[in-house]
Amino acid sequence: MNPAQLLLNGVVTGLLLALPALALTLVFGVLKFPNFAVGAMLTLGAYAAWVGSVLCGFPLIVAAVLAVLFVAGASVLVDRTVYTRLRDRGPITLLVASIGVSFVLENICRFCFGNDARNFDVAVARPMRWHGLRINHEQMITALAVVVSLIVLHVMLRHTPLGRAMRAVADNPPLAAVRGIEREFIAGVTWAVCGALATIAGVLAGLDRAIDPLIGWNYQISIFAAAILGGLGSPAGAVAGAVLIGIAEETSALVVPTNYRQAVSFTVILVFLLFRANGLFGRKAISR
Amino acid sequence: MRGLRAGYGSAGDVVAGVDLALPPETILAVIGPNGSGKSTFVKTLVGLLRPRAGSIAITGRDVTALSPARRVASGLAYVPQEANVFRNLTIGENLKLATEFLRARAGVGHAQQERVLALFPQIGRRLRQFAGNLSGGERQMLAFACALLANPEVMLLDEPSAGLSPRFVHEIMDAVVRVRRAGVTVLLVEQNVPAALRIADEVVVLVAGRVAHQAPAAEVAAADLADLFFARASAA
Repeated sequence: MNPAQLLLNGVVTGLLLALPALALTLVFGVLKFPNFAVGAMLTLGAYAAWVGSVLCGFPLIVAAVLAVLFVAGASVLVDRTVYTRLRDRGPITLLVASIGVSFVLENICRFCFGNDARNFDVAVARPMRWHGLRINHEQMITALAVVVSLIVLHVMLRHTPLGRAMRAVADNPPLAAVRGIEREFIAGVTWAVCGALATIAGVLAGLDRAIDPLIGWNYQISIFAAAILGGLGSPAGAVAGAVLIGIAEETSALVVPTNYRQAVSFTVILVFLLFRANGLFGRKAISR
Repeated sequence: MRGLRAGYGSAGDVVAGVDLALPPETILAVIGPNGSGKSTFVKTLVGLLRPRAGSIAITGRDVTALSPARRVASGLAYVPQEANVFRNLTIGENLKLATEFLRARAGVGHAQQERVLALFPQIGRRLRQFAGNLSGGERQMLAFACALLANPEVMLLDEPSAGLSPRFVHEIMDAVVRVRRAGVTVLLVEQNVPAALRIADEVVVLVAGRVAHQAPAAEVAAADLADLFFARASAA
């Protein structure tokens, strides 16, 4: 296969991974635990958009916006019913709770929609050709949607009071509290943002492949590999890590069969946790 | 504060029944030997540690059940001993965050910002620099500025001179005096006793989590500190 085509596919796959990897790293930065349910949130987002688009007949963009609002609200609800009570119990307890939440969300989707694969009702379009590269419409939509989402998130984190407050809580939670910032409010905002990012990724994943209860799980290892590679807690690192993982997974097809693609992500997780646990852009944790 | 008791986990009380009133617009220094509960006391006042018993009021209003954020909105400001600025945010962002979530509080606004930056001119000139790149003394100045922007009635300072060079200790203590002159009541927890006695109006000696002695600063300066710290400790 054309290496340039693999590179292009890798960049687009990486961009899709960037959103849930950002969701994972934001929760880790602000709430200090790795949210195992990020894949299940992606699944929930894909199904929510499918309901809006196929069952209710809304245009896909409208269905996607409604799904973002629904999953953002559901994420805040899960936080208030599960994580808030466990907030001070430490990261291991919260990680285990998020595994439970992941199973619950995934099985709610299975209960409501069964195991059959579902698809968005979008017309099949002929791919574009450019210098020997094949670029399909889903790839262009994915790249555009992710870049717009990243710009919006960047502006929010850098230039709005809420974004500054999220970064402040991530930096020093007790100091944020004595600057008048309510931690629970910021936790709710973080979960809403996390749900929105996972949902956008779910819709984009649903354009690329069939929607089933395991759609999020199929991305889970790659999402964690991207966030760990970039340095958990570093938003810019998560994006860079996701693109690198996407490229590594796609170009691995040159040397190993494609069904071993996820082994690349596993290897990245293993190597980085063993030799550079703070990733490419993360800072060493200091505890006393 | 009345009958204040606080501690960690299932261990005994670190603050073991403190009754104290802060006279308005004064500097009250809290001194005592290591492990006497000074930092625990101040963390309990600001709400970072839930008291086991007792009550805390600011200008007559009970704030015992309020979160730290709500206490700040009620007129309390706190400058921690370490990690007193957001290191990954710029100086400008630190200053903005000091008031962004306190807009409803009276006196918080542009005029207050100008007054505070006039007190700390070296901060206002470097707004785009990351706070993590500041020296210890400069970080302390920034932390003071952030606390003052909230237009507090009472300011709690936890060992502001810790880890600073003698020159910076002098500057920091002068800044505390300027804060008091601006009409703020200051509770100063300090390990550096001579520096605290130089600027304090009143001194409380905390031993084993209890108020062992309370007197004007001049009187404490004339007394034998070893006697104040250790004779009371053995009595406690």
